[in-house]
This record gives sequence, structure tokens and C-alpha cells, in this order.
Amino acid sequence: MTSSKELVEVVMTVNQTEVTRTVEPRLTLADFIRDELDLTGTKLGCEHGVCGACTVLLEGEPVRSCCTLAVQAAGGTVQTVEELCRLPRGARLRESFKKHHALQCGFCTPGFLVTSYELLEDRDELTVEEARRELSGNICRCTGYQGIVAAVVEASGAD
Amino acid sequence: MVENKTFTRGKFVGARVPRVEDDRFLTGSARFIADVKVAGMKHVAFVRSPYAHARVVSVDVSQALALAGVAAVVTGEDLADVGRLVDAMQIEGLSKTPQPVLAVDRVRFVGEAVAAVVAEDRYVAEDAADLVVVEYEPLGAVTDAVAGMAADAPVLFEELGTNVLYRRSRAHGDTDSAFAAADRVFEGRFHTNRFMAAPMETRGAIATFETGPDRLHIQTSSQTPHLLRMALAGVLGMPEQRIRVSTPAVGGGFGQKIATSPEEVVVAALARRLGCPVKWVEDRRENLIAGSHAKEQIISLELAVTGEGRILGMRAQLIGDGGGYSFNTSSILVEPQVAAQSMPGVYDIANYDYEVIGVVTNKTPVASFRGIGWTAGHSARELLFDEVARDLGLDPAEFRRLNMIAPGSFPHRTCTDMLYDSGSYTESLADALEMVDYRALRERQRELRAQGRYIGIGISPYNELTGFGTDSASQAGFPFPSHDNAMVTVEPTGKVTVAVGFHSHGQGHETTFAQVAADGLGVAIEDVAVVFGDTSTSPFGMGTYASRSAIIGGGTVSLAAARVREKVLAAAGRLLEVSPEDLEIVDGRVSVAGDPDAGVSFAEVAGAAYFDPRVRGEGEDVYLSATMFYDPPATYSNGTIIAVVEVDPETTEITIERIVASEDCGTVINPMIVEGQVHGAIAQGIGGALLEHLAYDEQGQPLATTYMDYLIPTTMEVPRIDVNHLESPSPFSIGGIKGIGEGGLISAPAAVTCAVLDALAPWEPRLRTLPVTPDRIAEICRQE
Repeated sequence: MTSSKELVEVVMTVNQTEVTRTVEPRLTLADFIRDELDLTGTKLGCEHGVCGACTVLLEGEPVRSCCTLAVQAAGGTVQTVEELCRLPRGARLRESFKKHHALQCGFCTPGFLVTSYELLEDRDELTVEEARRELSGNICRCTGYQGIVAAVVEASGAD
Repeated sequence: MVENKTFTRGKFVGARVPRVEDDRFLTGSARFIADVKVAGMKHVAFVRSPYAHARVVSVDVSQALALAGVAAVVTGEDLADVGRLVDAMQIEGLSKTPQPVLAVDRVRFVGEAVAAVVAEDRYVAEDAADLVVVEYEPLGAVTDAVAGMAADAPVLFEELGTNVLYRRSRAHGDTDSAFAAADRVFEGRFHTNRFMAAPMETRGAIATFETGPDRLHIQTSSQTPHLLRMALAGVLGMPEQRIRVSTPAVGGGFGQKIATSPEEVVVAALARRLGCPVKWVEDRRENLIAGSHAKEQIISLELAVTGEGRILGMRAQLIGDGGGYSFNTSSILVEPQVAAQSMPGVYDIANYDYEVIGVVTNKTPVASFRGIGWTAGHSARELLFDEVARDLGLDPAEFRRLNMIAPGSFPHRTCTDMLYDSGSYTESLADALEMVDYRALRERQRELRAQGRYIGIGISPYNELTGFGTDSASQAGFPFPSHDNAMVTVEPTGKVTVAVGFHSHGQGHETTFAQVAADGLGVAIEDVAVVFGDTSTSPFGMGTYASRSAIIGGGTVSLAAARVREKVLAAAGRLLEVSPEDLEIVDGRVSVAGDPDAGVSFAEVAGAAYFDPRVRGEGEDVYLSATMFYDPPATYSNGTIIAVVEVDPETTEITIERIVASEDCGTVINPMIVEGQVHGAIAQGIGGALLEHLAYDEQGQPLATTYMDYLIPTTMEVPRIDVNHLESPSPFSIGGIKGIGEGGLISAPAAVTCAVLDALAPWEPRLRTLPVTPDRIAEICRQE
């Protein structure tokens, strides 16, 4: 690394582990998670907040990690697909996604899982219309969404 | 169990088997190219032209090189030892436009790479790219193919002296007589939109170079690893066995990742030049302006029709807008040539003349995208068909049925010399009409219209050429001989490895090929692993495109499995001291037919074949492995898509109420995966009908450079899609399999567009420029 860069120390909790890194202020949260922490489940599809592939939970709320700087998340709690898929609700979504053929290439899938995970936080028995509206911020180019919508609706009513 | 010598349909083929690869993606553990790190790697950013057409006067890299963290900056002249990319099609009369991987002297589209920066990370590489000073001398830009044909148009390649790279006419039947005999002649000039694959994962590559003897390993997001290896060997001047191309998980391709990209070559050349691994991952803006575009054509159609609605003849002129270069691997002709050949579609048209013209323009090069050629031709024809039916007072479904190739007349040879193996054309139309309850829907349309609400029905029957091998390529008008291979190996423990040259980027090959192999060998699907996407472990294959994997992959895997089964039975016969003909393999057990207790496990046979000399016949190949090739005859899938929409003439808002698809891809290996392909392709077709267009201004500046202005359909635009499966197994292919990937994108743009225009029928709409945008609807509804 070169010495002329301005660097700042960032501390945050990612997937229940506290991490400390010294980074450039311009480093995005997505690149922080992916490159500094090697948690590559979070994907970059557009880098301007439209496609949703980079969605992570910050303080329990979904954020576009491509449009969030790592320094903005400093001191916070971040959850990525790597943790969420192991929790009960994530495992339920995982099974439902498999059953309904809700993924093809799998690139947008972590973003959909994270969005859906938060969506089911305090909701149950989603209707198809609600699911479609809530998932409209994530783009999938492979599936035509029908399987994804069906998977999330089913997972919402599984309790 | 249905069985023949080469293809076995047991408990897996035909079943809705859940995908075996899903967990990898659902846990975030799948590795895509951007996720791969190589020790010591540096990062590449490209300096791209801001001009559509300009002379490159000078490139000053000094400031960029001076930036801390920058390892190198190279220009086109620095890469003089790298060959130019040129399309591989050998077609008489087609001019070539060899493309330097970094522009030299001249740029021909906005986004063409002029220099490449290598730095310690992508952030610094982009900083340095901004510091490269390029002096351009702007030239007049050609932004429209028709304008580019004019004698006074600026010329992109001075050595050719024209922008027209290809022009050729063909006549089939006696078209002039057909037109002379017609009661009515209809005509229209259609300009189909320029849209693109836009895979969620952009392109990218990591190259590693080792010396003594030289070895290049390029990891890349590609649909065609072996083809890329051939291309790299050519332009880098390296023997191909010293090049390894491997592909990690690939996040969608849809055709864009077939052709060798200039950037992949630059990354490989940089690794060789610098002696360190280099990585490039494209951003979305780069993908939208420098990844290949698709589908733009200007198609003039004439139809000779009787008063009762029988089509007597057709004439077409197809002008392909190819962008700045006739792109390598797929040429400038892929769009108009394939559209010309396939224009008769599912209809019985004996007299047909066409002219194909390929033109270069100062826009992003055009290459493959799902349904290549077919989408634009199909859209133009079906839009004109609706105009004809409306004018003649015929029901659009009836007009289509009247002109369809009749059941019982397969194989059917079209006037363009395509041989349709089998199909369910009228059956599929009837099936789709029943799915929407067509009569009731027309009644509802009338009732709603009286209330000032406008629903419309778009009917789009299609077929598609699948299993792109030598014969299919020839029928499409592309002499591109090929064959593919699969290697099936029973390991010493009885587990099975299937290695194929087909890449999987969402198609679920790990599941479908495992289904075919498991049935072929009589083992459980869990005992089969499918290996692909690495030239060092996969047998040669052309890769995944043009709906070829199910039929060719299914065929090669079943052939290889059948050969290995013979070896297993021979070994088991010696172990059990019975004739192999009396043995069968069921559920991983080899036993005398009808007596499962008197057998041995598959694993025991495998172990014996490897390690027990007693089961080896004299001079016999006992290695439980076989590599088989297959190059199938052309097969044609078919189907009908019907869209039901509502249009608000006040707000121009379009709501797609529902879409039904009756599809027929012959023998279905996995209905769940087939439905996924149909759904996904239709969603892209909805985008093509309503949203997706790569617009340019008059200077050739691309106007859609982010996902804010290149709109991909979301859950709100894609409605429920119902799929029915018909099965007309191909008499020509192994197992009767046909391909399935393209039909939805061939036919859905027409289905949706026709539905919108049907809804607006009271305004007697005429729309010939796609997509259907709000301003175009407003224009129609403003008419008295």
C-alpha cells in the first residue's frame, strides 16, 4: 500500500464477530465486507443501488452496501448472507428457494435472501401481491421471479 | 423404464428433481470471478473512449504512471504483439473488421478501450485511468444503419470503403407469381430495439502467467471455455495446450459471454507482460456500453395474401445494425442472417425472397443474446400478421392457424431449407388458447371496452432451432462445424464423475446431466458429480449457447454412460460368472434380471474393475470410463405464448395481467428446470417489449448507461406465467430431446406488443418501432 492515502480505523460487528480494519474513507461497505473480510456472499451487480444484489442488514435494516461507505457502518452491526442462511428463518428460506426453483445462476440470490429475511422479520402470511411489491427493489435476470415470489410467500407462512 | 441402446429413461429423467447445486448459491459460498483472489494479483481498469468515432491523436500515460500504486499503463501500440480479434465465420462475401484489443489510431464506439491501467487495487486503477490523457480528433458518427449505407456517410473502415460488410439476396419458390396472384399485399418496415443480455454478474477475468515452459491460466466469466482457449492461443501466439481456461460460477450469460472479449485478451496479455496475476471485473456502466448489444434490426416485410387470409408469399429485407465491429466469434450477420432464414417460423410459406444487409455503425458491437436473430424477425412478422388480420377482419388466432404447418406433415422442410424434425404447432396454439379461455376473454374484452377499459390479447406461436451443432448452424445460414463430448467415469468407489464441455451459468446442468447419467447407469443421482468449465478437466466442447446443452449434453452423457454401463456389466458378468446380457443395474445394484438378491453392488463391481485382475478380459479396456462425442441433427422446439394486458389510454400505463406458455421441447429431462427457462426468457421478453432499449443520441452517445435508464423488469412488471408442457420427441435426436432456452425471448416481445396494440384496437394503432414506450402509446391514443 502507498503511504500517501488518508486512512481511518473502522470497527464494526459483522456476523457476530467484531472486526477492526484500517481503510480509506472512500471504501464502500460492500468492498469492506468482500475484500477486507473475504465474505464474498454479498454480490455487486450495479454499484449504484438499483439491483439489490449487495443488500446486507445494518442494525437489522436492509441497506445497499455498494452505496454505503464502510465508515458509515463503523460501530454498527452488519449481517450478511453467510450468517443469515444459518439462522432458522434463513434456513427456512433456503429450503423454500430450492423447492420453488427460485434461483438459476445464483448471483442475485444472496440479495434476495437478505431482503426476504428482513421482510419476514415481523410479517407472516405474506400475499403474493405483498411479496411482489416488497421484492421489487431486487433484480433477477434469470428466473422471471415466479419461483422467488412463491418461495418467500411459502416461507412467510411456515411458522 | 424406457430404454434403448443409448438413452435410458429411468427414475430421474422426466422427474421434477430439485437442483443439486442450489445450496452453494444459497449459502453465499459459490465463487464467482469477482470472489476469486490470486496471491500477488493486481487490478485493471480500462480507459474508454468518450467519442463514438474519432481519430486517436495521442495517448499520454505519464501522469497515470506517476500515481502511487500504479504498476503499468498500456496502450494499443504497447500490445502490438497481440493479434486482433476477428470473427470466425467463413462466409462468402463477408468483409472482416479485425478489432485491436486496445484501440489503435481510431475509436469506433463510445466505450471502446484505448488504454489499460494496472494498479494495486481497483480504486487506484480507476484514479489512474482518469489521469490518462487521450487527444481525440472527432469524426462524423454513423448512428443508424440505413444512414450508414448512404454514399456520403462517414466510413468506419477506410480500407473497406463502405460500412456495408455484407449484402446478399436469396429467392425461394416463385415469389413474384405469388404476389401477382394475391388479393392483397401488406407491407411494413419495422425497427426492432437494441437491447442486451445484461447478466447480473458483469464480465471479468483473472490471468496468471508462469514461465518455463510458459503456462497461462485465465479464470473468466465465460460460456465457452474451449472456444476462448482457441481464440487466446491465436491472438497471443501460444500453443493451446499451454493455456488453461477455467470458469468459476458464472452469474448469467444469455449469449454475452460467448464471444472472446477484448478485455479478456488484454488481461491475459498483461499477465504475460508484467509477470504478475491481474484481475479485471467490469462495472455496470462498462457492461452497458462495452459489453455486446443485440437484436437491433430494420426489417421490411411484404406479405401476399388471399382475401380469405392465406399467405401466398413473403418478401423481406433485413438490415442488421452491427455496431463498431463485426464482432468476433459471432459476426455482424448473426442477427439479420438468422432472422432471414427463420422468417417463415411455424407457417407454411413456400414462396419467399430475402435480402440480408450487414452494416457497421458507431455503436457498441452486436453479438449473441438469447433468441439471436429470431426475436427481431419474429416480432416484425407477428406485428404485421396482427395488422393483416385486423384489416381482413379475421381473428388473429384463426389467421395464424390457417397458415400454420399442419400436424402430420413433419418432418417439414421450409423453403429456406430448414428441416423441422417434429412439432405441435396447431396443438400448441389450441392449448394456449384454452389456457386463457380465449372465447370468454374476447367476450370480456368487449364488455370492458364498453366501460372504457382496454384489455388486449397477444398471440405469439413460435419455433426455435435448438441443439446448435454442425447441421443446425448450417440451417441457420452459418457454416460452423462443431461437436461436443462428455466423459463418464465410474471411480473406484463406484461414484460417478461426468465431465462435459458445457458450461452452466444458471441452466442447472449439474442436475440435468446427473439425471441422465444416473438413469443411464442405474445409480442414484447423489452418486453422480458433474464437472465442467475447465479446459484442463473437461473434454472439448463448444460451450453453452443456442439451446444446445440439453440435447447435445444429454446426448453425449447418455452415449458415454451407455458405453460405461457395458464395461460395468462385463466386469460384473465375470464376477458373478454369468453372461452380461443377463444382467441389469437397478438402484446401484448389478444383478441377474429379475433376481436382485443374486447380485453385487455397483461399488463392488467398480472396485473389482480397478483392483481385481480376475475381472480383466484379455486385452480388454477395463477402465470404467468413456468419452463420447455427439453432433446431432437440427431439432426445433415450439410453443405458443399468449399475453393478456390492460392499457390505460389516459396514463399510458400497461398492466400485464397474465401470460401463458404452451411449450414443447420434446423429451423433458426436468420439467422444473424447463419451466424456469420459460419463465426467465419470457421475463426478458417483457423487458424487450416494454422497457429495454439502448438509445443513442445523434453523436453516438449512449443514453442508457446505468440501471436507472436501462430498465430491467422487476417483480412488478413480470406477472404470473403459466406453463403447459406438450411433448413431441424429436425423431432425430438421442432420447428425443430438444432445447428450450430461447423460445420465451423469441416470442414474448411480440406477444406483449401485440396485446398492447390489441387493447388499443379502437385507435387502429400502427406501431413499428420497438419497444412500446409510454410516449408511443400516447401518440396512438392522441389519434382521432
